[in-house]
Amino acid sequence: MAATMSHGREILRTEGLWKQYGRITAVADMDLQVFEGEVFSFLGPNGSGKSTTVGMILGLVRPTRGRAIAFGSDMATHPWPALRNIGAVIETPAFYPYLSGYDNLRALAIMLGGISNARIDEVLELVGLRERGRDPYKTYSLGMKQRLGIGSTLLGNPQLIILDEPTNGLDPAGTREVRELIPQLAREGHSVFLCSHLLHEVQAVSDRVAIVKKGRMVAQGTVAELLGRGQYLRLKAADNDALARALGGIPWVEAVERIDGFVRAEAPVAKAAELNQVLATQGVYLAELSPWEVELESVFLDLTGEAADV
Amino acid sequence: MSMQRLMAAEFFKLRKRMMTWVVAALTVGLVVLLYSVLWSVSGRAGGFFEGGRRFSYEELRRGLFLEAGVPFALQIIATFGTLLAVVLAAGAAGSEYAWGTVRLMATASSGRLRLITARLIVVFGLVVLIALLAVAVALAYSALITATNGGADFGFVTAGFVKAQIFSLGRTLFVMAPFVTLAFAAAVVGRSTLAGVGVGLAVAFLEPLISNLLRLGGSPWKNLPNYLIDANRDVIIAQNQLPPALQRFSFGPSARQLASRGANSLPEATLILAVYIAVFIGIAFIVYRRRDITSASNG
Repeated sequence: MAATMSHGREILRTEGLWKQYGRITAVADMDLQVFEGEVFSFLGPNGSGKSTTVGMILGLVRPTRGRAIAFGSDMATHPWPALRNIGAVIETPAFYPYLSGYDNLRALAIMLGGISNARIDEVLELVGLRERGRDPYKTYSLGMKQRLGIGSTLLGNPQLIILDEPTNGLDPAGTREVRELIPQLAREGHSVFLCSHLLHEVQAVSDRVAIVKKGRMVAQGTVAELLGRGQYLRLKAADNDALARALGGIPWVEAVERIDGFVRAEAPVAKAAELNQVLATQGVYLAELSPWEVELESVFLDLTGEAADV
Repeated sequence: MSMQRLMAAEFFKLRKRMMTWVVAALTVGLVVLLYSVLWSVSGRAGGFFEGGRRFSYEELRRGLFLEAGVPFALQIIATFGTLLAVVLAAGAAGSEYAWGTVRLMATASSGRLRLITARLIVVFGLVVLIALLAVAVALAYSALITATNGGADFGFVTAGFVKAQIFSLGRTLFVMAPFVTLAFAAAVVGRSTLAGVGVGLAVAFLEPLISNLLRLGGSPWKNLPNYLIDANRDVIIAQNQLPPALQRFSFGPSARQLASRGANSLPEATLILAVYIAVFIGIAFIVYRRRDITSASNG
């Protein structure tokens, strides 16, 4: 496992991961990394290969080529040592309907070994199911099932937690709890691999984000990098045409666009004052100058050309 | 250690499942029902013909005494218990797909091969436990019948008798195994309980019919049933030495009928059933180990 300058220890890496179903390429040449203690979000429209990628990461799906390495183990050939360090809930949580929430966790605890009944109670408390823990799973609402799913991933205190749409079926309060839980898990030293279509949630909790489209990675980086934070300025003048012409003549302004009555200039936010001065010397006086704020949703739509995965 | 944990988890899940208790209750209930019916019938005057010989109902009653309690209970288990064991095995393997827990189990276990091995061992273990429970109930019923008909004479309980009963139990469990493994494999391959139950019961019910049709077809068809499960099961279970008066209620051919069919020898029958068991287990293991689990219910 490699260590990097800017991140913690690498715990998961995929190298040229590829899955072919006949003539359909589900995942192509997927390279990604997850580091210790970070929240990594994996975004993409429906059918973009997210679940197949997660399946290959967990050793559930065999790659056509390439490999996924978690905690030093090749997940296609020898996933078991690594799976001890991974807790995952994929798509909809699935448990034994005739068992209670407690007994479902008990069955998992017996399999994993070394987990006390007190730990099961602790996990149920953490996900807000202490009161209903002894009720049959089949009587749970979707939100309760989701919470039990999250609880099951925490049971063995794994280093990497994979959560696929963890807020599905949760009410706003439950969604907020999960949103708060994710950075808390990261603070406790867990790494979180998060698949979600709630881009505002992702933007709020993620350290790094990868966006996939049709099985291929189209962007990967920190949230700030993807949003281009600090790289765009929002300007307005009495004469926006003159403003755009003037900006086009400045060598360190990379790109100029007219958007919704404003001019967006690709230029370092740190040079905003200098830019204002240069424009003033050319007779262009600004009515407005501020950093251009971009939402992750806009980046997602730009890169995938589709609505978020719903 | 991890194999023990997997088996403990499988046992925990099946112990908590209603299906297991229903199968156990039905098996015991069938034993009680058949004993009750035969005890009632044996109170009649007169007799009946079986295999060209006339038996009195008094002989039938003596067949229900303690001495024959184990073989008759095992005969019931081999016939009806097998059908229930098919349901148990198919349910244990197939429900995981319906509930979507196949993915949870695959990621929480220490290996798919270990997981399916643990599950199969636990299913067999439960079949053994249920069979022992049914035998215990049959012995209790036999003791009751014996006691109400002149008291118990335990002179027949010798080391040889006990050994014979243990061998009978072993033979009964062995002939159930091809059906149990078939249902288990079919549930894994078909990813559903229905596939396991359907294939298991279809083979259990249709094989005897097909075998009879093939025998009627003459050469070369008449020898084909000797390579099927049912004919070899009959050869092995006939060794359990049921009292002649109970043969009519054994739901299987007599030793004389088997001889007239040109049935396989005991070693041949044992080998053929062992091959079936190995093939069914092999199919289940290979499919479960190699197949992608692409969604919760698709493994």
